[in-house]
Amino acid sequence: MSVRTAMPNLLARVPGVAIALIVLCTVFGLVSARFATPTNIANILVQSTILLLLALPMTLIIMTEGLDLSIGAVLTFASIILAVIVIATGSFALALSAALAAGLCFGLANGVLISVLGIPPFITTLGTLGIAQGLSLLVTDGQSVVGIPRSIESIYSGRLAGIPLPILIAALAYAVTHILLYHTRFGTYIFALGGNREALKIAGISVRGMLIGVYLFGGLMAGFAALLMTARLNSAHPTAGVGMEFDAIAAVAVGGTSFERGNGWLFGTLLGVLAVGVLRNGLNLLAVPSSAQVASIGALVIVALFIDGLRSEP
Amino acid sequence: MRYLAIGLTAAVMFAAGAGLAANETIAVFTKNLTNPYFQAVRVGAEAAAKTLGVKVDQYIPTKPDSIPEQLSQVEDVIVKKPDAIVFIPVDYKALVPAVEKINAAGIPVVNITDRSAGGDFVSFVGADDYGIGLATATDLLKAMGGKGNVIILEGVKGALSNTDRVRGFNDALKEFPNVKLLASQPANYQRLQALQVMENLMQSFPTIDGVMAANDPMAVGAIEALEGANRKALVVGINGSKEAVELIKSGKLLASGDFNGFIQGCIGVEIAVRNLRKQPTPRELILKPAVIDTTNFSSYETPVEARTCPTLDQVASP
Amino acid sequence: MNDDAMNKNTKGDVDIAVRSRLAFSSNAMQALYRLLAATLLCAVLASLSDVFLTENNILNVLRQTALLFLMASGLTLVILTAGLDLSVGANIALSACLSASVMKATGSASLGVATGIGCGTFIGLANGVLVTALRIPSFIATYGVMWMLTGLTYFYMGGETIHGFPPAFRQLGSGYLLGIPMPVYVMVLFLAIGTFFAQRTIWGQQVYAIGANPVAARLSGVPVHSRLVLVYTVSGAMAGLASLIILARINSAEGDIGENLTLPAIAAVLVGGTSLFGGSGTVMGTLIGALILTLVLNGMNLLQINASWQPLVTGVIVLVAVWISTLTRQSGE
Repeated sequence: MSVRTAMPNLLARVPGVAIALIVLCTVFGLVSARFATPTNIANILVQSTILLLLALPMTLIIMTEGLDLSIGAVLTFASIILAVIVIATGSFALALSAALAAGLCFGLANGVLISVLGIPPFITTLGTLGIAQGLSLLVTDGQSVVGIPRSIESIYSGRLAGIPLPILIAALAYAVTHILLYHTRFGTYIFALGGNREALKIAGISVRGMLIGVYLFGGLMAGFAALLMTARLNSAHPTAGVGMEFDAIAAVAVGGTSFERGNGWLFGTLLGVLAVGVLRNGLNLLAVPSSAQVASIGALVIVALFIDGLRSEP
Repeated sequence: MRYLAIGLTAAVMFAAGAGLAANETIAVFTKNLTNPYFQAVRVGAEAAAKTLGVKVDQYIPTKPDSIPEQLSQVEDVIVKKPDAIVFIPVDYKALVPAVEKINAAGIPVVNITDRSAGGDFVSFVGADDYGIGLATATDLLKAMGGKGNVIILEGVKGALSNTDRVRGFNDALKEFPNVKLLASQPANYQRLQALQVMENLMQSFPTIDGVMAANDPMAVGAIEALEGANRKALVVGINGSKEAVELIKSGKLLASGDFNGFIQGCIGVEIAVRNLRKQPTPRELILKPAVIDTTNFSSYETPVEARTCPTLDQVASP
Repeated sequence: MNDDAMNKNTKGDVDIAVRSRLAFSSNAMQALYRLLAATLLCAVLASLSDVFLTENNILNVLRQTALLFLMASGLTLVILTAGLDLSVGANIALSACLSASVMKATGSASLGVATGIGCGTFIGLANGVLVTALRIPSFIATYGVMWMLTGLTYFYMGGETIHGFPPAFRQLGSGYLLGIPMPVYVMVLFLAIGTFFAQRTIWGQQVYAIGANPVAARLSGVPVHSRLVLVYTVSGAMAGLASLIILARINSAEGDIGENLTLPAIAAVLVGGTSLFGGSGTVMGTLIGALILTLVLNGMNLLQINASWQPLVTGVIVLVAVWISTLTRQSGE
């Protein structure tokens, strides 16, 4: 229940991630003349879309006390499927369906292994990470897949009514996830699942079905993220999504979703993704040495959680 | 919280303030922070910048060789509009959209080391990976007296440098029909992986006379494995790193192909600046393959930080 | 109120005693299953490759297992408390690089060893403090620490390599004693220490209790915070030690030395039967887990199987191993 009240109490209890984001924007805005330009803001938003597509389902997954380490590798695999099929057949619709199907297959496998066989999420998805990565390497023999029709590139670089397409796709994904989490029975059960699994079972809800649904959603979003990634690179590469799962998990955690008790906050995840994007962009604009950039990502994660820790102190 | 903000502001002000003095800014893109080769490129770029009176900003993905991250960095740098860019793509095919974005923004770009599969460049500066592989392998095969058994340690599958180097190795082998290739296994340019692959291969093959490694760290891994098993074989690597030069001096490594990141960094920046200053530039500059061995290692002992950039003319005319 | 607490207290004590005894016997069964699996794997490899059973290859497998085990052993304790340490690889990188530069500068192997272990221990302590005092979940705290350590390492190394250490130090990684590689002795030593600590000391029992039920453990008087700090510190120290073995084996240090080490170490712990939910598993199991993963890689190299298969095969093995232990655990209940 405490989650529901987190929204109205927003002003009274500004979360760590919002503070971090405001501080970052203020500092970068003051120091770099180019930071707060419309071009750069659009740039940051577009760059953040792929990570957001992964972080949205990750929020739901973490709320069920789960985790999906395979999501970056599944994105990579789906991207390769998309590229290979569109090159072979020339049909975008077929290629996209195959990519989404690949994502859904991995989501289904994750969900079944976790809920039916009872293998812990961390290890299930560590295993499927290896499988997706291995398949990507085997299909491509380690090479980039190139020769995709130019029209696909426009999905990433195109605009509709002046707004870049990736932003529209990400906004749509956010809206769908928001409705799913806050306005459907499925969402209510997700809150309950993390908080009180037993009560849910007593109420006769199929916990297995719920879990499979959550991981399927993860696979589906990985498929859409693969579309954006392929369009962005105009190619598919077997290492393109390496490590993105941890970026997504970090964004969710920075955004204030806790790993215990189904305490989730979707808008926080959005802020978390933006904080990571703003940090990287700002440091690039200022040409800060790369080693300092590496360390600053760690600092962001720890500082944001530290502030939250202080606030939740009784 | 306030202290944090003040600290951050101060740090960032400092970083920004450092950049105000120079006239022209060149953004240099390399693949990672860990491979000494790219460090040599960066040192070369800085050395050239100092001589030419320009400022260099280095952009390196925080995750080594990350394609999406380098693409994001390119997008961020375009916002910043440097005067020119010197670019090593982390993947020669996947970064083509990044080059096209730079082209669209009208920023002149010089491609070095790995030739991009697309986009427009002021010029390309690189080493001849195939030639280096061929020359280094020939050195080894001659030293083996044209007979015996060899092993190839390959780098990352799909990397252009690896494909060309290994092709050079294999073409050299064709000239020596009495040498048998026992195995050609990838160790992904990594030292520890090369060590373990070599340990495992030594179990399968009782006699190994020579090892061709597609870079120096793998050659060093192979040497450690051989020493650990008390076995002897002649080993060659590629890159001409400081470590390799030391090992050649001590007789543990037979030879290393000179990939010369320092000169590539120097010349990349020099061409970028010449182009800005409307001076003539070559469309393409392929450095001549050279092999470092016991006969010539002393000229490579100067650490890169202490070397001076050759001029374009010195490199262009042999 | 007081009575209530007292009741809980005694009840908790009994709970922990029963639980740990149960956990121990089921752990023994688990270890047996895994040993069988490893034996089966050996039999298959022996029939496919005629060099598999040679003395050299066996020593080779043992030496590679030792390295993976050392990284995974400290991690086993962390996972027993239902925590996770994602900073192991980054810790190894920084410890190795600092130790290497100290050795290079002073020429003293012992100073280098002290630096490596000291650095690892300190990082472990910092992880422990972040997790307990600042109450950041271990998974995410150590993820943040991982980035900070990696940044520090990159900054410190500046893309350079440090090469060539004293011969005495190198013995630690590539030397032999009575025909057996040195790292294997280190492995056996730490297997003994780890097993004794976990199974025979009160501190070890408390670690299991914290993992099984932290609230019950606290109520029954276990100093949860200080034990957790201890566990992370030990894990850090083991990473420091592992960094020295790696350093001694490859005789050089570079910034990416710790890359791709963390997930295999976690996999070894989990294949070894330690549960991510805490409270169940053994250090011995982790050794067998490390052995199984090493055998797979060794076998693929001996049979010259395309390296692209490695992540896929490893992934499937991890899944199957954990599924089997989930099954056996459920049937045991």
